[in-house]
Amino acid sequence: MQNSSSVADARHHKPASPRVAGSRKNVGRAVVILASLAFLALLLIQILYAAGATTSGFADWRPILAAYLFWAIAIGIGQVVIRGERGLRALFLLPAVFFTVAVVIFPTLFGFYIASLDWNLSSLEGPRFYGFNNLIGLFHDTYYWNALGNMIFYTAAVLGEYAVAFGLALLLNAEIRARKFFRVVFLLPMMLSPVAVSWMIGKSLMEYRFGPAATLARYLGWDNPAFFASPWMAWLSIEAMDAWVSIPFIMIILLAGLQAMPKEVQEAAKVDGANGWQSFWHVTFPITLPVSITVLIIRIIFKLKLADIVINVTAGGPGGATDTVSSFIYRVYRDRSNVGYGTGLAIFYLLLIIALLTILLRLSNRWTQKVE
Amino acid sequence: MKQQGHDPHSELRPNRRAVLMGAASAAALGTTGALGTFSGLALAQNNLRSQISQIPGVGKGAPTDADWQKVGELCLGPTRASVKEGEFKGVELSFMGLNNQNLHNLLFRGFLKPWEAYTGAKISWIDLAQADYNPRLQQAIATGTVDFDILEMGAPFEGDVCGKGLASEMPDWVKKQIDIDDYVDYLKPPVGTWNGKTYRVTIDGDCHNFNYRTDYFSDPALAKAWKDAGNQSEWGVPKTWQQVQAVTKFLKGKKIKGQNAYGYLDAPKPWGGFGFYFLASRASAYAKHPDDKAWLFDVDTMKPRINNPAWVRAIQDVIDALPSEPADQLNADPNTTGFQQFLAGIGSMIPWWGDIGQVAKASDTSVVGDVVGFDILPGSEDVYNSRTGKWDKLASGPNHAPNCAYLGWGIYVMARVASDERKHKAAWSAAAHLGGKDLSLWMVMYPSGFQAHRTSHFDFDEWVAAGYDRKYITSYLNSQRTSYNHPNRAVEPRIPGIFQYYSIAEDELTKIFAGRVDAQTGANNIAAAWEKLTDQIGREKQVALYKASLGV
Repeated sequence: MQNSSSVADARHHKPASPRVAGSRKNVGRAVVILASLAFLALLLIQILYAAGATTSGFADWRPILAAYLFWAIAIGIGQVVIRGERGLRALFLLPAVFFTVAVVIFPTLFGFYIASLDWNLSSLEGPRFYGFNNLIGLFHDTYYWNALGNMIFYTAAVLGEYAVAFGLALLLNAEIRARKFFRVVFLLPMMLSPVAVSWMIGKSLMEYRFGPAATLARYLGWDNPAFFASPWMAWLSIEAMDAWVSIPFIMIILLAGLQAMPKEVQEAAKVDGANGWQSFWHVTFPITLPVSITVLIIRIIFKLKLADIVINVTAGGPGGATDTVSSFIYRVYRDRSNVGYGTGLAIFYLLLIIALLTILLRLSNRWTQKVE
Repeated sequence: MKQQGHDPHSELRPNRRAVLMGAASAAALGTTGALGTFSGLALAQNNLRSQISQIPGVGKGAPTDADWQKVGELCLGPTRASVKEGEFKGVELSFMGLNNQNLHNLLFRGFLKPWEAYTGAKISWIDLAQADYNPRLQQAIATGTVDFDILEMGAPFEGDVCGKGLASEMPDWVKKQIDIDDYVDYLKPPVGTWNGKTYRVTIDGDCHNFNYRTDYFSDPALAKAWKDAGNQSEWGVPKTWQQVQAVTKFLKGKKIKGQNAYGYLDAPKPWGGFGFYFLASRASAYAKHPDDKAWLFDVDTMKPRINNPAWVRAIQDVIDALPSEPADQLNADPNTTGFQQFLAGIGSMIPWWGDIGQVAKASDTSVVGDVVGFDILPGSEDVYNSRTGKWDKLASGPNHAPNCAYLGWGIYVMARVASDERKHKAAWSAAAHLGGKDLSLWMVMYPSGFQAHRTSHFDFDEWVAAGYDRKYITSYLNSQRTSYNHPNRAVEPRIPGIFQYYSIAEDELTKIFAGRVDAQTGANNIAAAWEKLTDQIGREKQVALYKASLGV
């Protein structure tokens, strides 16, 4: 048996690396710096060329992609030269770096570039450099702010979905009859695609003449049950459809949290004389709070992408009442073929989401720490 | 689409024995002198036309894939004359088009299956929904990623496609094969051409006509109620938009055959830009002055007219009519008004393309086949004069301006096939087969997504022989012919980005119809957005193309 100090030593042990001569390091650094400068210069020239600021450049972006590959290889070689064996080991990270750059960093940078263009697909002149004008235009776009306003309500409605889901999770966690059957039934909506839901529910079940929901509403005394005709009713109907698909997801995560909770804690509360509500509010809810926060954040991320049901059922109407930022961006791309502006809208929304999630994560950390 | 439906096509091809028997019979007839040389040819063609008109027969339900294949096989004669059997073996072509209401591309598949079997070429299909059509095409054009050899496209896009040199010029043999001179005048050049070169095989007319329920306007109870309500005029089919409004408001709360009665059906929900045509049909009589070819923009400046008093009046008409229309009308797009409302028995008046008349009689989906009548779009007592800024009353009576919406679909071959001679010929042969004179007759008679577009389509006897009621078909065809030939027809501009203009308008119109902004403010917003779009696309070139499209 090893003693604890030898285990710690082993954990912190780093294999000895042969020393690399200073002159060799300088060569390596020169390779990295020169390759980086060359790549940046090429990239800058191509951006200026694409923006029409210079006549020198490539017809398309393929040479830049090739330059990127050469640059990455040069950096790899440079690292090996500078760090010797350690640099060689670092090369194993290269596939991951390539992948990250290709699918995350490059598209993001390219998105920023596109957002700086005045690019309508029908434009006879093709794309033109536009600077920050797309961003400025966004601040004057009433459709965008209307959609953002709607998103605040859609996002706030997540709390309602959470409350319903928690109720269902508690129900399914209790010793009720046919529990397994109900679990399956409650999970079914989650398995449907939002597009299917929009047709099944929005276009059939809630159809105002023959739909069963409309028939029931008429039976209950609503003369003209048009679920999507008035702005607030349409918003509510879309939210109900989205909630119907999403509540099972929240429910199943909460149920998992409830199942993981030690039974002794509940039993102790019972022994101490806590009633059902006290047991829930002072024991169950705080213990499942970390799970709740996690699922709420995930649900908010999904909610911020809401588009498919809206596009299919109301196309954002009536009068923009159900429009979401995503459905509006979709229209800017699809119907107006305005690529530059659409990308600008998307990037601005992305930044808003990142800011919102950063705040939410920080708050959630604080709440979780408090509970712990 | 049932693939198995295509499979029996090979059985439809005549075998050698059948051909020999046919030839022997023809020779026997020829030797007896019973038929002269030319009359024999004419009779064969007439027989073919009457034969395909009976597939499946009007009133015998919707045609199926087997019917499309049968028609395609029977109309293969011109292809056989210009292409040897198996000549295109190994050639692969891709075809991009619509799959609206399960028509368009699905029919083309059936029609081209025998063509593929005979020529040896193979076609792969790119199917698009109506609302996805414009962005897919625009993207392909702008990014140079044209991944199709044959394209089904409307003339409004010719500025984008032909103007950028993406289309292949039509060879002379195709012009002969499709009898291009048979097209109705309004679809002759400049439509289908660009810089004097012909690019399109026309397969559709496209013009909004007025569809109404004859039983509503012959109903004695409604006639009495109309008089009792203090109306001085006789109860009848409205001829002007003022009358349409009056009838629509009058019918609110009335019943017909035990059902709720409704008047005009608006289509306020956006439809990928195509929904704008339906406001345009309400506006054309107000906005299209007989002395002025333009009605959407000023010709010399591209200044939008959408916010002038004529268009605002049309928008206000919609606002005023909506409370008298079905409860959920705000969520109705033209597909809903045409196919789920009017043909399903709801409402008494809609504008639409020619599909309504075909589907009402030759499809399983209609319940109103016997009680539909047709006319050109309603007129207006007065018309706005953009030059003087005043409303004029014409000495000739109400102003009518049929909305020639979309200028019809056509088949275009892409320039990218030009480098391969066999592929080039194959693509044009496929296009010519689809746009053939006889095949086109079948397409305009049955649900296909296409309406009459050749002079020869207006032979009423052929329709009657196919099973159409003479009164019905006379009303239907006359509504289209009169629209096409109307001296004050409102013609669609062939300018790049036209659907972006429409789409922007649709977004703002939903706000107006939902009561969020008033008609004038909303129209001003549309005009401002259109100005911005014109600048973005390029004003000078847009002006030039707009002038060219109007022939001024």
